[in-house]
Amino acid sequence: MQFEPVVLFFLLGVFAGLVRSDLKIPGSIYEALSIFLLLAIGLQGGVKLAEFPLVQLLVPALLILAVGALIPLLAFPVLRLLGRMSRADSGSIAAHYGSVSVVTFSVAVALLMQEDIDFEGYMIVFLVLLEIPALVIGVVLARSGSGSAQWGRLAHEVLFGKSILLLAGGLVIGFVAGAEGIKPLDILFFDLFKGILALFLLEMGLVAAGRIAGLRSYGVFLVSFAIITPLLSAILGTLLGWMLGLSVGGTMLLATLYASASYIAAPAAMRIAVPKANPALSIGAALGITFPFNIFLGIPVYLWMAQFLHSFGA
Amino acid sequence: MTSQPMTLLIIISETVLEDILIDEIMDLGAKGYTITDARGRGTHGTRAGRWTQGGNIRIEIVGNAALCERIVQRLQSAYEQDYGLLMYTAPVELQN
Repeated sequence: MQFEPVVLFFLLGVFAGLVRSDLKIPGSIYEALSIFLLLAIGLQGGVKLAEFPLVQLLVPALLILAVGALIPLLAFPVLRLLGRMSRADSGSIAAHYGSVSVVTFSVAVALLMQEDIDFEGYMIVFLVLLEIPALVIGVVLARSGSGSAQWGRLAHEVLFGKSILLLAGGLVIGFVAGAEGIKPLDILFFDLFKGILALFLLEMGLVAAGRIAGLRSYGVFLVSFAIITPLLSAILGTLLGWMLGLSVGGTMLLATLYASASYIAAPAAMRIAVPKANPALSIGAALGITFPFNIFLGIPVYLWMAQFLHSFGA
Repeated sequence: MTSQPMTLLIIISETVLEDILIDEIMDLGAKGYTITDARGRGTHGTRAGRWTQGGNIRIEIVGNAALCERIVQRLQSAYEQDYGLLMYTAPVELQN
């Protein structure tokens, strides 16, 4: 199984957190790192998108969004009936799992680059698009029967929050500039990408360590949910990617997008739109279990699944 | 120099609520406010300030007693149940 060494920085962060080391990444540096990652991923996508006729993306985009919307819709009844969770918690967790994680996606891209496997650069468009419907569905599920949500606030949080703004902004800039125009920025945004990702993963490890301590209180259900959901979603993504005729790399990225759970955009949006939901549950599951599962085991498995399916022909 | 008796209201709450709380406070008639990032621990667990959703803010408002009372009542009824919220007042002398 292929392995991307950059994930070891996450382990170092977890270790530092567990032994209560005085290592801290200052908040402003963390902010800067996340701005860098979002922009770099957006630019990368934009440059590749510029080489592709946009009209051809319409049908795949609609299909990918429709299947993506199934994830929170299927997760909600499982959480509610099997997990016996409150309506608010079920909706909020469903939204986290329907939404996507930029860092998980970045680790998958890093693995593909290391293994020299080509992928469709426009997958990054779906990274932007998939963030939105799951959050809306989650809020509707969580709040049905309990009055109207503050839709204006939610829309503002989702559309103009920094993740979507920087991803979409980078995408547009990369698209307008093209590969030649963006060359002077290559050193900063593309060559340094892995190094910055490593620092970001170190910080993620520190934060996750704080969540791992609380894992015992989540119960067997949530822990299993946080591992089984990404696997099932990834199978959905692999099949769809294969049917759409994506390359091995693109299929694996789609599986990773479906499998990943948001822990930056979704928590902030849910805290505002579904205040009754307990953020410790959703962030704990997404960041404490699903994120490490995906970067260590999930992504190599999704790559294997894509290669396996493609060995039958595209 | 004339000093004027006023009330200092301190609100400690979640970073994610910053824009919402400021709208409320200004709507209720405050002339201004000061915000700082805060970290700490309370009944909602440790808030290390690492992530937007894991951070706290500390809002300071100086105003007359009636204004502070209005803000406290409004925030209490709307946010205390679902969000981390700590409010306290102290008498202060405004010096300018």
